[in-house]
Amino acid sequence: MRKYETFFIIDPDLSDETTAALDNKVQSVIASNAGEVLTYVPWGKRKLAYAIRKRTRGLYVLMEYSGGPQLVAELERNLRIDERILKFITVMLEERFDPEKERERRAQAAVVPFVEDEESAEIPLGGEEEEMPEDFEAEGLMDEEKD
Amino acid sequence: MMTVRRKRRTFARRKICRFCVDSDLHIDYKDSKTLRYFVTERGKIVPRRISGNCAKHQRVLTLAIKRARQIALLPYTAIHML
Repeated sequence: MRKYETFFIIDPDLSDETTAALDNKVQSVIASNAGEVLTYVPWGKRKLAYAIRKRTRGLYVLMEYSGGPQLVAELERNLRIDERILKFITVMLEERFDPEKERERRAQAAVVPFVEDEESAEIPLGGEEEEMPEDFEAEGLMDEEKD
Repeated sequence: MMTVRRKRRTFARRKICRFCVDSDLHIDYKDSKTLRYFVTERGKIVPRRISGNCAKHQRVLTLAIKRARQIALLPYTAIHML
């Protein structure tokens, strides 16, 4: 057993029912391949960094699950077929997954997604930014020189 | 030319790796807000000599940025921006 996460983008223009149906479909693929969905968190609609199939926004969904490599192959096959899925990425989180441990871990810490829905959330300007060294400007110049 | 360059370099302060200093700061490809500090406006990855990251974290960061690009959280290049 391994732990994976798949982060995928759903067509944002779909109705809520269609999206819900799609959610069920994706989760059922995992269930029918001896996997277990651990979390299924929609991140909301966000602007894409580049257009995918002529769409500039997308509904991001993050799903964590456990299962074997054949499950991932099957899931990705399904995602590729489905036209409502614009893009996806699967990352292995843990090589050896222990369901017991996971339950404990989740009981302790609730999963907090990075909320970055640019429609609703305003960006809090934290102290993080100050640390940007001045050298960054010089670097910008370097960028242009090459063209 | 050379000397001018070197002179400019002398007051460049010692850079530190932000990820080494702050162990709470994790590198995650889904966290585009953090990753954005390490790419230029054109979407290029900022080199280590500029950002000051250590080798270990730069490697992890590079992977994260490339993954973020795949899932359209970060641009490959600015040209496609609408």
